[in-house]
Parts: sequence; structure tokens; C-alpha cells
Amino acid sequence: MAAETRVLNHAAAEKSEEDHREHLMLDPRPRETLNRWVMEAMLTTTPRYWIMVIVLGLLVAVLLFGAWGNQIAVGMGVTSKTRPVFWVTYITTFVFWIGISHAGTFVSAILRVFKAEFRRPFTRAAELMTTFGLAAGALFPLIHLGRVWIFYWLVPYPNARWLWPNLRSPVLWDFLAINTYLLSSTIYLYLPLIPDLAMARDRTTGIRHFIYKILALGWRGTEAEWHRIRTAINIFAFAIIPVMFSVHTIVSWDFAVSMVVGWHSTIFGPYFIIGAILSGVSAVVMILAVLRATMKHMDYFIRKEHFDALGKLVLIFSLAWAYFFYNDFLLSWYGGDEALKRVITFHAEGPMAWMWYLMLVCNILIPAVTLWNKKIRTSPWLMFIITTLINVGMYFERFLIIPVNLSHQRSPFDWGEFNLTPTDIMIPLGTLCLFLFLYLVMSRLIPLVPVWEVQEGQMAHTLRKVGKAEVTSVSELE
Amino acid sequence: MTLPVIHLALFPEDQIDSAAEAISRLHKLGVEDKDISVISGIPYSDKILGRPMSWSRVPVIAISGAIVGCLIAILLYYGTPLLYPITVGGMPLLTNPTSFVVIFELTMLGLLISTFIGVFVEAITPSFGPKGYSSEITDGKIGLLFSSPSDLEERVHTLLSDLGAEVVHRSEEKLWI
Repeated sequence: MAAETRVLNHAAAEKSEEDHREHLMLDPRPRETLNRWVMEAMLTTTPRYWIMVIVLGLLVAVLLFGAWGNQIAVGMGVTSKTRPVFWVTYITTFVFWIGISHAGTFVSAILRVFKAEFRRPFTRAAELMTTFGLAAGALFPLIHLGRVWIFYWLVPYPNARWLWPNLRSPVLWDFLAINTYLLSSTIYLYLPLIPDLAMARDRTTGIRHFIYKILALGWRGTEAEWHRIRTAINIFAFAIIPVMFSVHTIVSWDFAVSMVVGWHSTIFGPYFIIGAILSGVSAVVMILAVLRATMKHMDYFIRKEHFDALGKLVLIFSLAWAYFFYNDFLLSWYGGDEALKRVITFHAEGPMAWMWYLMLVCNILIPAVTLWNKKIRTSPWLMFIITTLINVGMYFERFLIIPVNLSHQRSPFDWGEFNLTPTDIMIPLGTLCLFLFLYLVMSRLIPLVPVWEVQEGQMAHTLRKVGKAEVTSVSELE
Repeated sequence: MTLPVIHLALFPEDQIDSAAEAISRLHKLGVEDKDISVISGIPYSDKILGRPMSWSRVPVIAISGAIVGCLIAILLYYGTPLLYPITVGGMPLLTNPTSFVVIFELTMLGLLISTFIGVFVEAITPSFGPKGYSSEITDGKIGLLFSSPSDLEERVHTLLSDLGAEVVHRSEEKLWI
């Protein structure tokens, strides 16, 4: 009897210890080990990696720059833009990428402000997504210009033409907002990276050592340096959140300020923001699933608990998106504006109705049916599939809002079709390849996991006994 | 007068208590706070180590940048339309509701860029504390860098070794390992 009790107690203790070690913050390793793992993940490349880099590089050259070059040489007639649909896949993909870029700020800034500890291992992966998502998205205003060589007319500076940009135009607000967000996100990516660049500096030689040495700004880890960098990160964390909200609100105003049927809605600002965060957080999940499966030692840093936490967030944002969608839909349907009623009927019954229903299935039904289940949330590959479908749904949402709405406006004589041309498809696909290419290359140039943040979190987490249970206790070390 | 000597003691990463105790004992030996610096791979707050509060000019630089950004925005938004007035879309030349967008964006841009400039400027500005570093610090060691008179050397070494400091280096100038 005593022996049985001992075996049961041992099994219970083992299970308890295993459960705790499942959590990254309760499974600390020596810093030297963490550094070595992160450096190995960064420096290890396989033939498959190089094949992907080369293929993506070629695709970027052909799909993006080749097609864009052809468009510049031949003219905008190579696209499907024609009356009444003057905005097609370029603007759709632009809004999509700006939306994706919201994830980094959400994960890195908002979760940091709310001290959500689970964010620690993947803030940098998310911030990288923001930077490259913005880089991909910011190409589209240039591509869409047609005469890209006169883009500098957007820049406010004294000139011989005596012309200044129209600062009352949402397009100019876009220019300012996106540039602000791009610069801020890049700096916000760089600041917490400095201590890890110093670690990489100390562990590399040759050209890498030289570059890390310059970028590390002489970092040693003194109290003054840590205080300075923490102050700067805190300023950024608080300040970049309103910038994030303003960017996608301003993008939504590209549509909402106009009198186009289906666009002139006051709910567009928050509707776009929630959609952006939904697609952004979904994209973070996609990236984490791939990183965990393909990069060395990433399964230590990125665990099922992270997919669980992000899955809950995706579910919440999916429900929030559904709320805003229904808000917009109901008031359009209820309002009695004939043109608006025709547009929403066109969505549900026209030739693109399959896209509308697929959008609702991907954005609302699938998350609602699956993400309440912890087993599904903690499966990286199921989460990858679900979040991919969400992003497909979100792309369809923007497609429905932009070209489909434009094709069915007030005057029936002005209704038109759009027939996508190869250029309409190649350039957006090219930006996807550019995003993946930049991400792949950068994943081997900088440490993808903020080791100092992970270790800081592990230091702050302890187990303590409360009653008969061992519970996690988090200290405030800052 | 004995010349100061720079010491670098490395404590294992799980011995923060020993490092904090070492600082207290160095104070008792007459080593001042301005001559002590803690170097670590993760940030420890001043309270944990019993250190004086650090301060930085970054917030002041950030606010200044925000003000400059705001002024530039006001100049651009309310000044440039008057240089070459073009009435667009029946809207007045100067509109207050739309000015908030431009002013907000450029104010935030000023705030964030100047925060970075503040970090960069403070990073490259020379500091006057003891200079030293060991690459073991990025591998988790807690470094206690201090300068003390050379006649205290033996007592300091004994103190640090008793508290578990693994290696104690010394140099008359910069200590870079």
C-alpha cells in the first residue's frame, strides 16, 4: 500500500513537473545555451533554404519587377483598370499588406504594454512581419501611380512648379501615415535588437562580426544602457499604438471620404482596424508555425502555449470583425438607399457571390467552430490552416469592398466588369514573393528570438505553493 | 595618492544576490557608486541591485522632437496652401478637421525619430565611468565593473571571491576581454 502510494505520488510529481516544463517561462536554460541555440538557428542553412531563396528571388524579379517594368514601358493599359473600376488588385493588395503589418505592433507593443508574458519569444518575428509587410504595401502607391517617375510630387518641398501637395487629400495622409509607420516600425524592430546584436557580435567573426559591431552601437549591457533602451522601448510601445490605429484608419478614409456607394460609411475606420489586426495576428500564427517547423531549436522557443494564446486572440478578433461587418451590413440594408441595397444584393447574389460567402465562412464560421477547442488551438499545423483561410477571407473582403463595389454604382449605365489581366495577378503575387524573400534572408541575418526578453521572463516566473497546488507566480522585475 | 585600478568581477547568472551583496560591501570599503557599474545580459532594476536611479535624456529629446514635428506640420498644413492657393473640391483652403491628421502624424513622427536619435546620441557620447567588458556577460554572467585604489586590491579580491565571483580581472586602463 505504501509502495503504491509512493509510485502514485512520484507519477503525480512527474506529471506536474512535465506540465510546468511545457511552458517556456517555466523551462529556463542557461543563457549560454539559449544564445547558442539562437545563433545556430540563424547561422544554419540547408540546401532547401538556398533553393527557396533563389526561387523566390527569381519570382520577385519576374513577377514583381518584370511585370512592373512592362507596365511602365507599355502603360497602365496592361492592367484591367477601366471605367468604372479604377481600383482593382493593386489597392486591394495594398490594404491587405498594411493590414498584415498591424500584427507586429499589436504583438510587440500592445501585448508589451499589457505585460502579456507569452509575447516574449515571438515579438521580433512579428515586428519583422510588420516591416516587410509595410515595405510590400508601400510599393503599391508607387505601382499604382503609373508614372512612377513623378512620385516626388508627393513630397512637400519648395519647387520650381510652385506646387505643394494637397494636404487635405487622404492619399497624402496615406503617404505621411505609412512613412511614419514604416520608419517607426523599423526603429522599433531595431531598438530591442541591439542587445542581441551585441550577443551576435561576440559570437561571430569576419564580415558578420564587423556589421554586428557597428549596429550594436558599442553595447555592453551597463545599467545606463539598459535604462536608456528600456525608456526608448517604452516610449515606442506607447506611441506606436496610436500610430498603428491611425494608419489603417487613414487607409480606410481613402474609401470612406468618397461618395462611392458602399464606401461612404463612418464605421470604416474601426472596421478596417479590426480586420487588419485579425489578418495580422493570423499571419503571425502562420509564420510561427513555419519557423517552428523549419528553423533549428525554434520548437524550444515557440510552443503550443503560444499558438493557444494567439488562437484565443484570433477568435476574439474574428468575433469583433463579425460584429463590425454586421454593423455595416445591417445599416446598409436597413437604410433604404436604393443604390446601397443593390450593392449588398450584388455581393450576395452577383457573379462574385461565391467570394462573399467564402469570406464569411473563412472569417467567421471557421474560427467560431474551431478555435474554441484547445486541442485545435495547440496544434501548430491546424492553426496554420485556419489562419491561412482567415487571410484568404480577409483578402476577399478587401476585393469585395474595392473592385466589386466600384463595378456596381448608382447609375446602371455605368455598371461595368473587370477582367483581371496577368499583370493584375503577377504584381500582387510578386509582392508576396518579396515579403517571403526578405523574411527568409533576414531570418539568417539577425537573431529571430529576443533572447534577453525570454531570459528576463524566465527570471520573473517562479512556481510557488498555494494550498495543495503549485501555481505560477510572475514578479515585476522592471 | 594611489592610482585607481579597474576590476571586473563576473558572477554566475543565478547569483544576483551575491552581486548585490558585493556592491554593498564595496560601498563599505569606500568605493563610490559613481565608480561602480553593473553589466548584465538582461536588465536589472536599480532597486534589485541597490543602485542609484539611472536617468536619461531620451524622454526630453523625444518631447522636443514631438514639438518640432507639430510645428512643422502646422507650417506645412496652414502655410503651404497660401503660397499657391488652389481651391480643390469646393473645400476651403484651410480646413481645421483635416489638419488633425497631418499634425498628429508629423508629431508622432517627430516623437519617434527623436527618441531614436536620443538613444543613438547617448550611445556614442563618451561616458566617464570605468570602461570594461567581457563577452561572457552576453552568455549570462553578471559583471561588476568598478575602479578602486590599488591598495585595496587584496581586500577587494578576497571579498569578491568569498561571494562567488568566478573571475576577477584587473587593469590600469580600459578593461576589455
